[in-house]
Amino acid sequence: MKTKILNTISLFFKPIIKVLKMYKNKLEKSMHQRFVLFGILLALVPLLSNLDIIRYSTVSLVAYIVIFTIVALGLNILLGFSGLMSLGTAGFVGFGAYGVVYFSSLGLPYEISILATLIISSIIGLFIGLFSLKVEGVYLAISTLAVGEIFSQIFRRVTWFTNAFGGVHYKYPLLFGVVQLNRNTTFILLVIMMVLMMFVMYNLTNSKTGRALMAMSRSNSSAQAMGVSISKYRLLAFLIATLYATIGGILYASFYRYVQPLDWNLMLTLLILAMVVVGGIKSIFGTFIGVFVIYGVPSLWLEELFSSINGVAYIFSGVLIIVVIMYYPYGFIYVIQDTKKLYHKFKNGIENRKNKKKNKVENNV
Amino acid sequence: MSVFISLILRSLETGSVYALAALGVVLIYRTSKTTNFAQGSIGTLNAFVAATILVKWGWSIWAVVPVAMVTAIITGFIIDTIFIRPASKVGPTGKQIITLGLIIVIIGIIPWIFGVEPIPMPQFFEFTEANRINFLGAVIGFNAIFVIGVSIFLMTALFWFLKYTDWGLAIRVTASNEVASKLMGVPTKTVTLMSWATAATFGTLAAIIVAPQTAVDINMMNDIQINAFFACTLGGFQTFYGPVLGAYIIAMSKNLTSYYITSTWSTTLVYVIIMIFLFFKPVGLVGKKFVKKV
Repeated sequence: MKTKILNTISLFFKPIIKVLKMYKNKLEKSMHQRFVLFGILLALVPLLSNLDIIRYSTVSLVAYIVIFTIVALGLNILLGFSGLMSLGTAGFVGFGAYGVVYFSSLGLPYEISILATLIISSIIGLFIGLFSLKVEGVYLAISTLAVGEIFSQIFRRVTWFTNAFGGVHYKYPLLFGVVQLNRNTTFILLVIMMVLMMFVMYNLTNSKTGRALMAMSRSNSSAQAMGVSISKYRLLAFLIATLYATIGGILYASFYRYVQPLDWNLMLTLLILAMVVVGGIKSIFGTFIGVFVIYGVPSLWLEELFSSINGVAYIFSGVLIIVVIMYYPYGFIYVIQDTKKLYHKFKNGIENRKNKKKNKVENNV
Repeated sequence: MSVFISLILRSLETGSVYALAALGVVLIYRTSKTTNFAQGSIGTLNAFVAATILVKWGWSIWAVVPVAMVTAIITGFIIDTIFIRPASKVGPTGKQIITLGLIIVIIGIIPWIFGVEPIPMPQFFEFTEANRINFLGAVIGFNAIFVIGVSIFLMTALFWFLKYTDWGLAIRVTASNEVASKLMGVPTKTVTLMSWATAATFGTLAAIIVAPQTAVDINMMNDIQINAFFACTLGGFQTFYGPVLGAYIIAMSKNLTSYYITSTWSTTLVYVIIMIFLFFKPVGLVGKKFVKKV
């Protein structure tokens, strides 16, 4: 009986494995293919929920992970590649969410409201970029924190824009004035945006721009001596990070359809920062893993495991962050390399032992 | 005129709280090379200890505060030995994330041990007819005088300690270059341990001073934490007295703008002014520009 079930399961999986094997060479060569495959796999999540394999609420959770992967990717470009620090990320995410809702409420179509929000936030991002030309290091980090705080004051006080503490409601987006999305299709929109953002980041960081940013992060003076324009690339880095954060916010509003002012605080900024550092600086898939560790693990398992006692889930997720940073200071993505090493060690160990036994037998003979 | 004076007095009170928190932040920044985001949370945790003892066992506030100071020192020791020292290989951003992890752990510990209800906390002196004086037409309670006095005394004591004792010298040396001072025989480990303990006590004191305004609850230090950071940037991270100066300036400008210009936007206005100031003086009021040789 058991073998029969196993056989049917393997029959089901065989074609998938075959296709994967066919694409294996291509996947190893091209990161783009990997992003697309990853996107397709993620896009299956609503289907799984429809088939009752996973819970309905898990889709929202994965959506949150997808949205904050986009935000964290932006911060990763800023922090990982250009070595600049921003503590105002949450403010920009909030601005994106509120902006798209506000412009839609004026009667503008979805795409135009996105465009308007992006234009305004990129202007603010450029201002911070200009600011970063004079202020450095920890002073810059705390100044961006000031920007985040100003945003959070605006969210609380400007009633016509944010409806203060009441929050604003939104609806699932209507694409191009024709296609009305629902929960599942909005989720797919999020995944498509994430894959697109991964593409942009990969292409950007593997181009002249990426190399210039990296040179800048090592040493400003040397980069300048090599002909890298510091002002241009700093502005660019802040612009990109701002746009990523704003896009994350826009998608947040589109999927959750409710924005309230108290979410966009220093704590969220620090969590986004943690996603980047825990996952792996400069690594695209690492960022996703980081978001998963910071947000997914606590809400998927820890909260349920320790729901009986107040706050214990928090203790575990805090300790998890600290432990990951201590043992993987360059990012959790290196856990994959380490397991590979361990696997090879193990394999070699077994082979060695076999050879030894063989030798022994041969010697005895 | 009396309004102006009472505004100044109130600013001195809030400024003292900011200054205590900011001193903790800058101490840890100089010795452990990280911005400690958990400064406020450590204070909140120990304020919860104080408030719980006060409410459950009925101790007076004068007995409770020393107990909280002791637990603060213990928290500082624990955090340094368990989390910060083993992470010496971790970069500055990684250390910041460790302090974030600490915040999350503390957020978990508080409801687990002390419950979810905010706990009320009395002032050192109640604001009654007998416990207040007229100062140039402005009314000031004994509590405010006590708070200002204690904070200024503590800060002066710290500065004296830093300047005239051997341990103070060790702290300053470690702050300027940890590797070199280790090579010269300075016990840098003990120095970091001490600075974490001191920072924790200062944070706790700030939390206990603020607590009576609302009640002891998890989010009570958020605002102070952020203002302490701004005080550090405004004053400059290079000196120990810069942040104190910054703290009083921020408190004063907040109170004055909220009374004379706009009460809703005073915080925003002050933050914008700080940013404009930093644009022209990027290392703070008394900071020195660190020139890196190529």
